[in-house]
Amino acid sequence: MTSALAAERFRAVVPPLLDDAYTLAKWLCRNSADAEDIVQEAAIRALKALETTAVERPKPWFLSIVRNAALTWMARNRRKDMSFVGDMTDLDGLETFDGEAAPDAEALLIAHEDSERLRGAIAQLPPALLETVVMRDVNGLAYRDIAEATGAPIGTVMSRLARGRAALTKILKAEP
Amino acid sequence: MSNAPDDRPNDGPDDRPDDRLLRLNAALDGELDAANLISFERDLRSDPALAARYRELEALRAAVRRHAVPERAPAALVDRVMALASPTVAVLPARSPRRPYFAPPALALAASLGVLGFVAGSGLTILRTPHASDGVAAGLVSDFARAEIAGQPFDVASSDRHTVKPWLAQRTTVSADVVDLAPQGFPLAGGRVAVVGKIPAPTLVYRHNEHMVAVTELPLDALGAETGAQIETHDGYHVARWADQNLAYVAVSDMDEKTLAEFVATFRQATKPAGEGPAK
Repeated sequence: MTSALAAERFRAVVPPLLDDAYTLAKWLCRNSADAEDIVQEAAIRALKALETTAVERPKPWFLSIVRNAALTWMARNRRKDMSFVGDMTDLDGLETFDGEAAPDAEALLIAHEDSERLRGAIAQLPPALLETVVMRDVNGLAYRDIAEATGAPIGTVMSRLARGRAALTKILKAEP
Repeated sequence: MSNAPDDRPNDGPDDRPDDRLLRLNAALDGELDAANLISFERDLRSDPALAARYRELEALRAAVRRHAVPERAPAALVDRVMALASPTVAVLPARSPRRPYFAPPALALAASLGVLGFVAGSGLTILRTPHASDGVAAGLVSDFARAEIAGQPFDVASSDRHTVKPWLAQRTTVSADVVDLAPQGFPLAGGRVAVVGKIPAPTLVYRHNEHMVAVTELPLDALGAETGAQIETHDGYHVARWADQNLAYVAVSDMDEKTLAEFVATFRQATKPAGEGPAK
């Protein structure tokens, strides 16, 4: 069912994005075998979509498909703890400058050999915050690309990023 | 964040701490426009607490970038994905190896065969009145019988779902659920394409001892898509149908009814989306 046109688009768009796709999928589902399944499923969906669509900005487009394939995977595997549904859209709970310990950049100078600690902290984030932080700081997406990939307004992306980083800071300071 | 500062009322959003945090992050990420950046840098110079917070965020981002680096996709994954659109496969026309059983005259014939087919199974739960979906079942039974007699039950022989899934994906419009049920006694043997209502539909073939079961996956609105897990008998073969939130399934088998029911339960368990109740 694959047309030559879709196959050609696919070969131009998808291969350069596989590392990013695999990285995102692995952060979301937390194991490499499932991440491979998710990326393969996403690639199949992408190929079908390319039958009818030319893609302007491939990275947010493909990572959006990866994210949605990961959502399907989570639903199927009953990872309700990883549900993306929830009121992540509001600013409630966002930390403020008031009533908080003084910032201490030194506490975040994590030793080179201690990456487990940092990765563990990221893994503790709620999924909506985790995917936003990973898309921004690991995949290197701009805000509007994260908004496109997650289907959230830019204000929500900014809020999630701020909350995600604040939560990371708190976790890392709590477990020196 | 794109408004110039002058556009804001005096008690505008950036005066609230929450928005100051958002602006801090946006500055760190290079997402502030020039006008906002100028006012932010001014604040940074005059507000030591803000500056300290900014350094902290910088340190955090540096740590994330150092320790959570992007990973390389495994070579096997890259190979499988590339194979989806390899030039040699892509230029081939969609393959439909089965005869078009569902062209109108054949459909009528198949439907009447289905109705006339003698009832061989014991414990038959339901015999439907003839309608379109019976034609689908009868056609799939014909497919099954023909494949069995020809000794070629599948077009791609593999117990590796990573091989079967992309093969089917290239040839059908349904994104197939491909699960291996070997641990439960039903190893995946391969896949083939069935043609239902002129639409190619992925079909998975599983083995159980010397028997086989072929599961055809259909869109929910396709001909023959029905819920409920009754087992019917067509021409001596057992046919089970069921549906989940995404797809409808028709399983044809030469296994006895009890074993087929067991297979169906196993398959449904393995493909069940969350939130769906126990198997009906």
